[in-house]
Amino acid sequence: MSFSEGHKFSEDSKQHLAQIIDNINAGIWEYNINTKETKWSSGFYNVLGYMFGDIECSNHVFFEHLLYHQDKPTFLSALNNNQYNPSNSVQIRLLTKTAGYQWFESTIKRYNDESGQVIYGSIISIHQYKQAELQAAHNDRVYSEAISIAKFGSWELDARNMDLWLSKQLYDIFELQNQVKLSLDEAISFFEPNYRATIQGAVNNAITYCQPYELELKLRTAKNNLIWVRVKGIPIIDDFGKCVTVRGILQDIDHSKRKTLTLESSLNLLTDQNRRLQNFAYIVSHNLRSHTGNLQFMVSLHEQTETPEERTEIFGHIKSISDSLNATIEHLNEIVKIQTEITNERKLIDIEKLFNNIQLALKSNIEALNAHIEHDFSKCQHINYIPAYMESILQNLLTNSLKYAHPDRSPEIKCYTLKERNHIYMIFEDNGIGIDLERYGDKIFGMYKTFHQNPDAKGIGLFITRNQIEALGGTIKVESTVNIGTKFTIKLV
Amino acid sequence: MIVTKSDVSACIIDDDPIYVYGFKKLIKLRGLHSQITSFSNGSQAITWLKNPFNIPNLPDVIFLDVNMPGMDGWEFLQEFAEIKSQLGKKISIYMLSSSINLNDVYRAKNNVDVVDYIFKPISGHQLTELLGMMQETEETKIQKYKS
Repeated sequence: MSFSEGHKFSEDSKQHLAQIIDNINAGIWEYNINTKETKWSSGFYNVLGYMFGDIECSNHVFFEHLLYHQDKPTFLSALNNNQYNPSNSVQIRLLTKTAGYQWFESTIKRYNDESGQVIYGSIISIHQYKQAELQAAHNDRVYSEAISIAKFGSWELDARNMDLWLSKQLYDIFELQNQVKLSLDEAISFFEPNYRATIQGAVNNAITYCQPYELELKLRTAKNNLIWVRVKGIPIIDDFGKCVTVRGILQDIDHSKRKTLTLESSLNLLTDQNRRLQNFAYIVSHNLRSHTGNLQFMVSLHEQTETPEERTEIFGHIKSISDSLNATIEHLNEIVKIQTEITNERKLIDIEKLFNNIQLALKSNIEALNAHIEHDFSKCQHINYIPAYMESILQNLLTNSLKYAHPDRSPEIKCYTLKERNHIYMIFEDNGIGIDLERYGDKIFGMYKTFHQNPDAKGIGLFITRNQIEALGGTIKVESTVNIGTKFTIKLV
Repeated sequence: MIVTKSDVSACIIDDDPIYVYGFKKLIKLRGLHSQITSFSNGSQAITWLKNPFNIPNLPDVIFLDVNMPGMDGWEFLQEFAEIKSQLGKKISIYMLSSSINLNDVYRAKNNVDVVDYIFKPISGHQLTELLGMMQETEETKIQKYKS
């Protein structure tokens, strides 16, 4: 039996009840739909911070003054719904006397008495609780937004049973639709094959030796996208110092990693170019200086000598210096030309045709040495390249092979092209005298570096060849064995 | 005491024939009366120095070029450091180069066998001074021996 039913209250008890109602920390309100009569308990004023008489007790004041305008629809719909849901309650904001709008919860009930239908309810302050709830919801939203912006997910590996847990964001990074449970091996299989051993090793070390790790790895997502990720793992240890869990994050760093890699490669290119430029400046100064120095030297000797024979002799040297000076200037011109010609149009070159033309130009040389030249450009017959460069490259390599032919055998020269992935390679092989790479290394591509006592050697050909190749983004590598031969591998594009 | 000026024997290792020619000519012109041996690269010089028959003719001073095909100046210095104890004679080495690369200069200054690094072309004045200095050291030796 409920408290209100079956009891007839005496006037005293009613008075007593009214006192109790007035003193509890909740407000009671009542509204008669027919008579528009409104009643608020003193608790009602209290919870809102008003004194009795501060505000007029009316339906109008409630709706137009106390209730926050955005909460009106909520409240009204609660009033109307209430028939079907007797224990209805609604959360609304009401204007308090000093603290502005605050959150309250009101119950809404109705009953009929002789004067008509009455709606009533009690309000209690839920402000602190609501604030905390809103703050928590806000924090959650900020946190999950931050996580999705930072593109990272967390994971946990139980060291005892190797059970792996992945956060929802991690599944997003893996581009896995449903959050299927993955074993450690399955998770590792998402990484590119050459990174798997690294991550497996790091996990093992974390478990066995409690070593934390941070790695940048390449991952292939379920949708076959290749992305760079950073994986961090921290071992959590028990009281005995044994690793019980490895906890960590996995972050999609694809964008920044790719930027870093491009930056790194352009930095390398720049450093390389800078180094070459400085080298070039030294060489220029060295070579020009050695000629001008000699010139000065000879002129001064010419002044000091008296016999006409000696003077003629010295003058002969002055003439040869003048020739060398001219040759050096021409070499420098050629090098500067590489940089200016780079803007020239690339054309589709028939490699075989060009190669045959060059052979024709060197015909007397080839015949004199009884050289046997083979070529096979079937793997790549045409290439988009600056014609002047291609001609110079082929001519230089062929001339070199002839120049450094082995004295005991006739030259066997092979030239062919290859296509691998997106690159075109040209291979140039000979059976010449070769070069001691352990001793000279990359110097063979340096300017004015000569290694054999060959009077024809000027030390400029391979320097120009390398510059032409690299100017178009290619590379040249050399393998050689003394007395066996030399092989150049050129990545053209 | 009468001091006879002893001749200084010099060796020049340089691949530039014009420079070698000029160098020899200059010494002759200056009346320095030195014996001059010349080599066009490091390995020729090393082979010659190693040959025991040449011991009586070992030079007092070597003028060494830096950039040469085959064995260059630096490589010569390495080989020289290995054989110098067997030569039985102190040989002063001057490096000669048209390279004004400071790295080369420092590298030469840090080598114990190198007395100095001289920028090409060497002037007549510089050469007279250098060889004159060598002669003086020879004199001091003789004086020491006599006293």
